[in-house]
Amino acid sequence: MIADIESLRGVTLETLYDTPEGRLIKSCIQCGTCAGSCPHGEYMEYPPRRIIKMMQLGLLDKVFDSDSMLKCVNCYACMSKCPREIHLTEVLLQLIKEQTIMRLPVVPQELQKALENSYRYGNPMGESGRKRINWMQNLDVPVRILSQNSQPVDVLWFVESYPSYHPRGQDTARAIAKIFNRLNVDFAILGNEEKSAGECGMLSWESGLAESLVDYNMAIFTKYKFNQLVTSDPHALDAFLYRYKMFGFKAKVTHVIPFLWQYFDKLKPMLINKLHYSVTYHDSCCLGRHNGYYEEPREILKAIPGIKITEMVHNRSNSICCGGGGGGMWLDTYFKSQNIERLSDNRIKEAIETGADVLAVACPYEMPRFEDALKVAGYDGKMVVKDITELILESMED
Amino acid sequence: MEKKNGQIRIGFYICHCGSNIASMVDVAKVSEYAASLPNVVVSKDYKYMCSDPGQEMIINDIKENNLTRVVVAACSPFLHENTFRNATFQGGLNQFYFQMVNTREHNAWVHLEAMATTEKALDLVRAAIYRVAEHKPLERKKVPIHPDVLVLGGGIAGIHSALTLANAGKKVYLVEREPTIGGHMAMFDKTFPTLDCAACILTPKMSAVKNHPNIVLWTYAEIVGLDGFVGSYKAKIKHKPRYIIEELCVGCNDCIEACVYKEARFLDEFNQGLSKRKPVYMPFPQATPQIVLIDPETCIHFKSAKCSQTCVTSCERNAVDLQQQPRFEEIEVGTVIVATGFKPVDARKVPYYGYGNFPGVYTALEVERLINASGPTQGEVVLRDGSHPKTIGIVHCVGSRDKHTNQWCSRVCCLYSVKLAHLLKEHTGADIYNFYIDMRTPGKMMEEFYNRIAEEGMKFIRGRVADIYPDRDDPQRKRLIVKAEDTLIQEIIKIPVDMVVLSTGLEPREDAQEVRRMLNITCSTEGFYIERHPKLAPVNTFTDGIFLAGCCQGPKDIPDTVAQAGAAAAEVLALIDKGYIEIEPNTAYINEEECSGCKSCVPLCPYTAISYIEEKKKAFINEALCKGCGTCVAACPSGSIIQNLFEDEEIFSEIEGILNFRNIQREMSYA
Ligand SMILES: Cc1cc2nc3c(=O)[nH]c(=O)nc-3n(C[C@H](O)[C@H](O)[C@H](O)COP(=O)(O)OP(=O)(O)OC[C@H]3O[C@@H](n4cnc5c(N)ncnc54)[C@H](O)[C@@H]3O)c2cc1C
Ligand code: SF4
Ligand code: SF4
Repeated sequence: MIADIESLRGVTLETLYDTPEGRLIKSCIQCGTCAGSCPHGEYMEYPPRRIIKMMQLGLLDKVFDSDSMLKCVNCYACMSKCPREIHLTEVLLQLIKEQTIMRLPVVPQELQKALENSYRYGNPMGESGRKRINWMQNLDVPVRILSQNSQPVDVLWFVESYPSYHPRGQDTARAIAKIFNRLNVDFAILGNEEKSAGECGMLSWESGLAESLVDYNMAIFTKYKFNQLVTSDPHALDAFLYRYKMFGFKAKVTHVIPFLWQYFDKLKPMLINKLHYSVTYHDSCCLGRHNGYYEEPREILKAIPGIKITEMVHNRSNSICCGGGGGGMWLDTYFKSQNIERLSDNRIKEAIETGADVLAVACPYEMPRFEDALKVAGYDGKMVVKDITELILESMED
Repeated sequence: MEKKNGQIRIGFYICHCGSNIASMVDVAKVSEYAASLPNVVVSKDYKYMCSDPGQEMIINDIKENNLTRVVVAACSPFLHENTFRNATFQGGLNQFYFQMVNTREHNAWVHLEAMATTEKALDLVRAAIYRVAEHKPLERKKVPIHPDVLVLGGGIAGIHSALTLANAGKKVYLVEREPTIGGHMAMFDKTFPTLDCAACILTPKMSAVKNHPNIVLWTYAEIVGLDGFVGSYKAKIKHKPRYIIEELCVGCNDCIEACVYKEARFLDEFNQGLSKRKPVYMPFPQATPQIVLIDPETCIHFKSAKCSQTCVTSCERNAVDLQQQPRFEEIEVGTVIVATGFKPVDARKVPYYGYGNFPGVYTALEVERLINASGPTQGEVVLRDGSHPKTIGIVHCVGSRDKHTNQWCSRVCCLYSVKLAHLLKEHTGADIYNFYIDMRTPGKMMEEFYNRIAEEGMKFIRGRVADIYPDRDDPQRKRLIVKAEDTLIQEIIKIPVDMVVLSTGLEPREDAQEVRRMLNITCSTEGFYIERHPKLAPVNTFTDGIFLAGCCQGPKDIPDTVAQAGAAAAEVLALIDKGYIEIEPNTAYINEEECSGCKSCVPLCPYTAISYIEEKKKAFINEALCKGCGTCVAACPSGSIIQNLFEDEEIFSEIEGILNFRNIQREMSYA
């Protein structure tokens, strides 16, 4: 992982070569591990390896003219295996992607819409900002909203857009609220003041959309006193850790799973209901490969009585992306038009192979993607997708 | 400093070192400046001071100008201090009337600003010129050298060194940790580039070691301590219990037959766990020495003390001794050759290659055993599931050239992969794919070998393997997909194979750091032992009398290993046959008149060179043991320990020199 993200602020493809990161890029041995690891490598005219070669020869224009980087789903697969430890996904590919999108004759419609929505409404779905706390209707536990009670708080829970608006995401938001209450976590949310952290803005380096969302949220954060930020969206976690940092953001940030792991001793005795599930866990790219949380989710699952874990062939650092990152969430139609198999459809086959009846996830993008993939695979009903927090709650509630 | 009325006449020389020094230091200016310093009568700069003309210049100047001291500003004293001391001596002076200034490693190579670098040179030179005036004449002491040699490790490197020395009439102790000598080479079937059978060329050397009158072979033994210095080392050796009396065992294997385990049940180390052995076993048929051993981890007697001990009763020679304890022995030797070899990278360190997870994935060393006629399957390549492979993928660079594991190229893997491709094809007729990043075949006959195997029709794919996983099109999920970008055709390819061979790289042994500390030699951060000079002293270490051979110094093939082993033996012979060694005179001694007998120094000496003489009530330093570290000198409360070459006047003058910069016109001001 890149050591000093702050130092890359303002870097462009022209100046990148002269930074420490550029020196790493120059050390590429053209081994092709990146291309071979990439879940979309087969469909890219310019996978990372060729991009680096073109960059060396000053031929990047050809790369921008191809849609290769539009197919990058920010999954960190290439970066995690690169024998020279080049921070491909973190730096180079983002810069290339920005140029690629800027030069596309037409941005695929779905994506265009998501970007516009994020800009206008603060969420990619285009929902009204005032409905952001609608998930709390029917919730029987208290959730403090900072704009109503701005007392200092330990945990500022950044709910994010999918858990706020998507029906299945809302289920997980409610589960988290209940678990936090049971654990007596001192927490609060931003409520309707919150806007998407800007993950889809991370399609670009720092210009435009990303910057405006970063500015907005950073300003809100300064209004309140809190010790740490917790989010259930690994993409938001990434945005805070790797993009907001570049803009001077310094608060401590955690994902809800590693956060709950810190409460493990308290949590474990509360897991009383035996769940007779055979579970396979899908490592989210941002939580696993990028931030190294492989064992915490598994340990928590193992602590739930009755649960049996079976692993997919590709797991932990070698997990395969669900296809939702890097804008992929809004490119399914585009990929389909190019006869590219949806990554979630591919991944679900591995999950089904395990014979498990629950696919456990820890990222709100995965829920809708895998539920849909199960339908496509004709497995609807035979396997269900559940967020780890939902499973925790199931084992806790009487 | 005062002029000493012409008694002290210093010659000063600064070396350009080609452009190494001259490009960063204004050498003419330094020599001009030195000429202005007290007692300096000659001051010159020259392109290569270490060359013959450079040395001649010093010798002639001493004679013509009646010089009494010499200072040379050049490279590290490590490289050329001896050269210039020798020139000083040739000129007719005591060789310790010389002082060296390191203007290369300590100056020109580490700074970026030429002006400041020059000024630093002036300061360093002034310090040396002040210091050298105080130098005293010293003599190097000669001490006899013990002619016996200790060789650590009985791989091909240790074997070759030991035989060379023994043939030259020297007594050699060959200490091998495992129950047999042979090392990795003993596991191979054939060897590149000639494809000659490893056993055919190695076994005769192994028996020669066993039978040589000048070699004491200790297997299943380890070094646990080394004291002393070149010419006179004391090594402590631990004999691990084999539970067999070595002198009595003739290797008839009756006890193995008689063991209460009727079937072999435990993983066989030599066969990489591809076959089974009993708790009492012979490591492999050609094991040298032919002595069995009992593994206490698996033997019932050691686990529960409830065994009928059929092995004991079966042995007609009463060689089985279940009570055996470790035995320690101390030997005296003059020199040591370290030949402890390497360890293959654990293939699990690259988790996405599936080793230990998918049964069809093998390491190269396992395959060496599989294709070996005396291996677990007598050379028949059968997979773990009993089938025969029809397609095989060989993956290069596993754990090499990768910052996640080891960054170095392991040098032999491309070639042994090509070798295995040939052997596997010969044994199975399978279709063979080699996945490589760069094909590296340096060395005599190596490219020719690659060419020959390529002509046999191997498929070569230029791309590092990115993933290996079971093929979903195979109902049994046994077939594996090897995925990589073929960077030459720029396509992602997925090759279904029955067997994957991981060409794991070479890395230092796990205990390399411990052994290094025990022997007081140096190793790089990764753990390969460092030679004294990468080009000019490739088998010496920084510790006199300790030499390196084989893969413990870095990955290499058998030809290079043997060449190095021979070179190490030659260096040892050069030392022994000279008969004595000269020791540096920079040792410490006690000024008995001043010594109060407080004993503070005695426990401080890291080399246990200081003793306390009861009768005189004074401390005493054994010159032969003293390494001149200076610890006691600094610690003595009465200031009664003096160290040659580091006497108070010498050090104080040097400090005075370095601080006395006021007389230079600073040309630069530092912001
Ligand atoms: C799969 C594979 C195939 C290869 N094929 C070929 C080939 O075809 N041709 C070729 O030229 N090269 C080949 N090589 C390279 C070859 O193995 C090495 O060049 C050679 O083995 C180096 O010999 P060595 O004596 O330095 O080390 P080793 O063979 O490792 O021997 C070292 C010995 O020292 C012992 N030892 C270790 N530590 C201690 C200690 N502290 N005290 C006492 N004893 C100790 C060990 O037990 C061992 O017996 C191959 C390598 C591999 C991995
Ligand atoms: S994996 Fe790394 S070193 Fe290999 S081609 Fe890609 S960027 Fe270059
Ligand atoms: S981050 Fe993932 S999708 Fe993007 S290029 Fe790398 S491997 Fe491919």
